[in-house]
Amino acid sequence: MTATVEWLSFVAERLPELWLRTGEHLMLTGVSTIAAILVGIPLGVAAARVRWLRSPLTGGVGILQTIPSLAMLAILLALLQRIGAVPAIIALTLYALLPIMRNTLAGLEAVSPEVVEAARGIGMSTRQRLWLVELPLSIPVIIAGIRTAAVLSVGVATLSAFIGAGGLGEFINRGLALSNTELILLGAVPAALLALTVDGSIAAFQWGIRRRRSRGTPFRGMVDRIARPLAVASPLVLLVAGGFACLSTSNPFSGSAWASSATDAQTIRIGSKNFTEQLILGELMGQLIETHTDLSVERRFNLGGTMISHGALVSGGIDLYAEYTGTALTAVLERSVIPDPARAYEVVDREYRQRFSAQWLQPFGFNNTYTITIRRFDATSRGLRTISDLIPVAASLRAGFSAEFSERPDGYPGIRSAYGLRFGEVRDLDPALMYQAIASGEVDVIAAFATDGRIEAFDLQPLEDDRRFFPPYQAAPVIRTETLQAHPELAQVLGLLAGVIDDATMQRLNYAVDEDKRSPAEVVQELLERRGLL
Amino acid sequence: MISLKHVSKSFDGGTHPAVDDVSLDIREGETLVLLGSSGSGKTTLLKLTNRLLEPTSGTIEVDGEDIATKDPILLRRSIGYVFQGIGLFPNMTVEENVAIVPRLLGWASEKRRARARDLLRLVGLEPAAHADRFPDELSGGQQQRVGVARALAADPDYLLMDEPFGALDALTRDILQQELLALREQLKKTIVFVTHDIFEALTLGDRLAVLHAGRLEQIGTREEILRTPATDFVRELFAKPAQQLAAYGELL
Repeated sequence: MTATVEWLSFVAERLPELWLRTGEHLMLTGVSTIAAILVGIPLGVAAARVRWLRSPLTGGVGILQTIPSLAMLAILLALLQRIGAVPAIIALTLYALLPIMRNTLAGLEAVSPEVVEAARGIGMSTRQRLWLVELPLSIPVIIAGIRTAAVLSVGVATLSAFIGAGGLGEFINRGLALSNTELILLGAVPAALLALTVDGSIAAFQWGIRRRRSRGTPFRGMVDRIARPLAVASPLVLLVAGGFACLSTSNPFSGSAWASSATDAQTIRIGSKNFTEQLILGELMGQLIETHTDLSVERRFNLGGTMISHGALVSGGIDLYAEYTGTALTAVLERSVIPDPARAYEVVDREYRQRFSAQWLQPFGFNNTYTITIRRFDATSRGLRTISDLIPVAASLRAGFSAEFSERPDGYPGIRSAYGLRFGEVRDLDPALMYQAIASGEVDVIAAFATDGRIEAFDLQPLEDDRRFFPPYQAAPVIRTETLQAHPELAQVLGLLAGVIDDATMQRLNYAVDEDKRSPAEVVQELLERRGLL
Repeated sequence: MISLKHVSKSFDGGTHPAVDDVSLDIREGETLVLLGSSGSGKTTLLKLTNRLLEPTSGTIEVDGEDIATKDPILLRRSIGYVFQGIGLFPNMTVEENVAIVPRLLGWASEKRRARARDLLRLVGLEPAAHADRFPDELSGGQQQRVGVARALAADPDYLLMDEPFGALDALTRDILQQELLALREQLKKTIVFVTHDIFEALTLGDRLAVLHAGRLEQIGTREEILRTPATDFVRELFAKPAQQLAAYGELL
């Protein structure tokens, strides 16, 4: 009973945002599906008409389908140099092409040769044959393809939140980053319902346009005059409702990818990657700016990883976000590791100014390095203290690494050559889930974040990096030079907490969000109050 | 008049011509039946006449003009065509099917509608009961009446009919044959009618052209062909059914 009440109030609190995110989701799905219809049907017609085009077209569009969604988003971000709705819609359109094109082709090919010959024989031109006979006869098959595409888009659109396009994926990402099941469900359940609604509305559209077969009884007349037009209009009604939801200015929730994307000199757009610490730092910078300047803040959090956040900064999709020196050095600048923290900071700041027209502000104080971490029980019982101690036993251990760690030169490839470590098995794990995975014994080794509160909470033991492989990862705000020139006071405001958030403080903040399930905003507000900064 | 001059058509580069050096005239106002078994080239010949197929060699003239010089689409709109099987458009109502050629020709919708209804009456279908139906709601015989009405819609001088009654039961076929005869008296069209049915050929044709393996065996009136068959093939073609009929008569 109390659980239900809690759940209801949890949802009620977020209703305005739920409305907005659903609207964004509808727009993402609707606009991309319409675009895919406009491109996919002509492609299907071309494939049906021009024999030598068929294989390249179906093959090419099929290959698009095999590109993993996140990779597609990252590629488009790199190509378009912007985050938000545009790359998301393009990605969704590319995915929706295949079912629409395939079904158009299949529908046209299913038209009986007798009918085609009759159309030619009575003197229809190729174009008339297409419009008057072949396409009308293919409509049921084409609409089936559109339904597949639309439902697929509703699903894939949840990933658009990774590049700041909003939608219900916003809740899911936040939930994943914070290990908060309620938030995940708040995105996933409406997304599933939305998929059913969209599918139903297109089915209704199809029923509405289908030509009636026999003459009317009074009841049928009513159905024809009222129900059919409504059915035909239903997809459009959905789309308009979605547009209204995300463009309505009365919505108090800031940060819609659709509403306020116009660059306003008085608005600072803050980004963050998709894990707890990043959300806290983003919130921290946001609240500092809101309380100490007249500027307003737009939060574009939960971007899908370093490359997407960096891409957003460089392209101007965001004005600032918090980055780590070690990450910038190795993953962004592709340089080798610099063990001295001050020197590393100096190098990244210089390189960012030169190459990206961005600069580094004063670090927050903590060093969120990767730590190779095992269960404390294993550490004590087997006498493991350093990473070198792992070398003889590594072959019998299962490691769980985030996808990013598995690839980065300062990640698994790096320690493999620095220590000669070879784990028996390596699994890809979401950063938010790896602590649970090691605690429950599904893996034996993880690459934890040094500032993560769950290291203590789950009774884990970080191993000493005895060969000094991991570079320093000092966190600091990275800001576009242009933004800093327009608002020089930002350097001072963001410097208010410089150097005072040490490893232990950051660990505590992370723990409060991850394990005590408090919101980043609340945790940050408390910290600022305690420091007298509110 | 339609004139075929040394017309040949081959689908495989000349080894087995589907139509082999056929010359014949179709006279104004007559019904010429192309009679032959399957593979004799009769349907190919019909399709060559409205450029659904192009001849490998030879020329075809309609009213003295070589059709190779005409726009095939405009040519087809000026010649009525009734298709083997059904050939109605399943996505259109009966009325829309009948009015399709006038629509392609750009007639105003009122005029199209009136024309379609007149034609439905002409082929014995009451417009009020049938115009708004879809083809699959009609019987086979009714569908073929619609097919004839559609071919007549733009009032063409020529009508090409490709085994139009082949898929119908004997009784319906007989009725439609009689109706076609009546219609022909009324409309004075020049008709080329393809069939493999000897009795249908004898019933409908002013003249018969007998085709075999792509070649024209004989062309002439019923009497000419029955009395003086030009080849052994023609003689045997008609002898067999005559024997059957005789046997059937004895039974009665």
